[in-house]
Amino acid sequence: MSEVIVFFFAAAIILVGAVGVVVARNPVHSALFLVQTLFGVAIIFLIQDANFLAAVQIMVYAGAIVILFLFVIMLLGVDSAEELDVDPIAGQRPLAVVLGAALLGVGLTVVLVAAKGITGARATAGGEHALDNGLSDVERIGRVLFTEYVFAFEATAALLTIAVIGAVVLTRRAAAADMLPDREPASFELPPLAPAIDEEEEH
Amino acid sequence: MLGQYLPLLALLAIATLFSAVSLVMSGLLAPSKPTPPKLDAYECGIVPSRDTPARFPVRFFLVAMIFIVFDIEIIFFYPWAVAHRGLGLFGLGSILIFSFAVFESFVYLIGNGALQWGPLKQVAHPDGSVSSKRTTTTTVRRVGLEDRIPGPVGTEEAA
Amino acid sequence: MILALDPLYLTNIGLAVVLIALLKVVLAFAIVLVAVLFMVWFERKVIADMQHRIGPNIAGPWGLFQTLADGLKLLMKEDLVPEHSNRFVFKLAPFLAIVPAFLTFAIIPIGGNFESKGGSVRIFGYDTYLQVADPPIGILLFLAMSSIAVYGVMLAGWSSGSKFPLLGSVRASAQMVSYEAALGLSVLAVILQTGSLSTHEMVADQAAGGFLGFIPNWNIIVTGFVPFLIFLIAGTAELNRPPFDLVEAEQELVGGFHTEYSSFRFAIFFLAEYLNTINMSAIIVTLFLGGPSGPVLIEGIDWAWGILWFLVKLFVFLFAFVWFRATLPRFRYDQLMDLGWKLLIPLSLGWFLFLAALNIGNDRGWNPGVVVGVTIVGGFAGGALLMAAIRTARTERISQEVDAHG
Repeated sequence: MSEVIVFFFAAAIILVGAVGVVVARNPVHSALFLVQTLFGVAIIFLIQDANFLAAVQIMVYAGAIVILFLFVIMLLGVDSAEELDVDPIAGQRPLAVVLGAALLGVGLTVVLVAAKGITGARATAGGEHALDNGLSDVERIGRVLFTEYVFAFEATAALLTIAVIGAVVLTRRAAAADMLPDREPASFELPPLAPAIDEEEEH
Repeated sequence: MLGQYLPLLALLAIATLFSAVSLVMSGLLAPSKPTPPKLDAYECGIVPSRDTPARFPVRFFLVAMIFIVFDIEIIFFYPWAVAHRGLGLFGLGSILIFSFAVFESFVYLIGNGALQWGPLKQVAHPDGSVSSKRTTTTTVRRVGLEDRIPGPVGTEEAA
Repeated sequence: MILALDPLYLTNIGLAVVLIALLKVVLAFAIVLVAVLFMVWFERKVIADMQHRIGPNIAGPWGLFQTLADGLKLLMKEDLVPEHSNRFVFKLAPFLAIVPAFLTFAIIPIGGNFESKGGSVRIFGYDTYLQVADPPIGILLFLAMSSIAVYGVMLAGWSSGSKFPLLGSVRASAQMVSYEAALGLSVLAVILQTGSLSTHEMVADQAAGGFLGFIPNWNIIVTGFVPFLIFLIAGTAELNRPPFDLVEAEQELVGGFHTEYSSFRFAIFFLAEYLNTINMSAIIVTLFLGGPSGPVLIEGIDWAWGILWFLVKLFVFLFAFVWFRATLPRFRYDQLMDLGWKLLIPLSLGWFLFLAALNIGNDRGWNPGVVVGVTIVGGFAGGALLMAAIRTARTERISQEVDAHG
């Protein structure tokens, strides 16, 4: 019973956050609503005894990825008062409606088709007795990840290496100009010098 | 199992409540006489003359990106560290390969100067920044007088 | 059997259990507030002493109530919200700073009899741990909270709509993010020894055994001192405390990210900062120095000894942080980033693999000398590769520089 209460609580957090991401006009507010949604998802993980995943959800998504979003929003100068009437991509609004409706349709179909299959059983393998063999969820993940799924794990390492290379290559040109010790940083524009005093002395 | 997290929720509520109540109390106790100088951005007493920079060097952005990758890689070490005794030699091998990939991308990063900050000692004044043309009148900028005195200090007396 | 669970929750969860849990929460909250008041006073007094000043000495005996007086003063000061600020985020940021700080304290075991009762004490007929919560994610909560703390700093600076706070917060968030990686890697060494993420298990593991009868089985010794050192350095940087306090380098940035904050909003940031200092010291004690474990000298009051040992150990680090501030000059930003990324991260990764290989080798009966030898060879190879990369980057930059400026 308590789990149901927690679930609805978490679901409310998630939905409010998700709607907030879309509705908020200020991109920083959107990012904050996104953090709220991610916290809600972490609570859902906790209900499923997936403690480690909940922690990872917060550490990686809230602690790293949204931080990057915020860096981009704050540091690359996205204007908070952006013109909302002009679409950057032509026809994106009708397309969004169509895609949204399609997604909703697919989601509803899945729920309706799977409704018969919903048993209320726990996601953790072993059902109610998931933790009875004395292993924490972290240890179970460790055992499975590094034996059965070891290939996927090593492939992840390769993927992350590619991500690093991508990040460096994409920022390299900008970085090359940027890395020079700036006498006057290119990104800060200095105003013209104020009239110096010696000009005044002439008249 | 969720009972374990109940005290955390309680602590979160208390901490939030404490801050909120203190702020409300502060709002009731404190005077409120805002004046334009008080509400302006603080710049050591000078009237702000430039907008806050909207853009920052890409290096900060790169650090955040690299951190995501390394954070994910470090996260993978946790389940391994907890379960490593049961995984034996096979586990050690798999983590060594993984670490090699981590280290390799790390060396690539450093080799490409992605994490270089600050000045270089080796190249001193490469563009002749020290020259006789640079004097105090050309390099010292007088700022912050715009909204206060029509001209620089002492203009009225001189005129 | 359920691992790492406070015995309080093993009984049927009734009203009494909930009340005890709430009592612990309220007590922890009170302890935290008093500890912060004390810590601020302690820092001012010790620094004053190191600088041959007297320090606070008017309010209360030895100036003990100075912080309280300052807090009350801040409560009655005018609260300004700058004109160009983003009001909502500006008001939200202090909460994002203080709440993670409080939550981190929840996982710290502050007492308990680890000699004979497995770290629990008896309150009103119930056995329980002397820590607010012992969730299975344990130490990850600390890491998660320190990544959330970045938001407080970042948003405070950005929302102020002013230059100095923005510069301070950009510096700070890049710094905190960088050192989080080193922090996470050095924690791994402890997890290798404990095989669990729970802070309680970590303390229990260190309380057991020992060498030669008098050297304790603390992780600082077992993990070979290096992870401890890395954690201490990275922890200081994560706290933005001297010598890594570039965030609020007064000469450059006035007050850093909280320049525009006044009245009690500023007090909340201040509170969070000192609370984080206490938390960090306590986490170091928990991870590396056996937390509240220690001998029970008088049987009758066995609950008191854990708290006593914990406080004694805690003081060492509280003093150390103050000492750093009084002694060490501030790092330059590039030195800070170089130290974090180019030394601490590779070193902690290498040390983690070394400890892991030692553990596995121990299980399989390898000669530890061989493991050490292979590690030294591997370490040298990695180090040489890293040095080569650093040199390449530097050479390339010099040539760019020469191209650009003639």
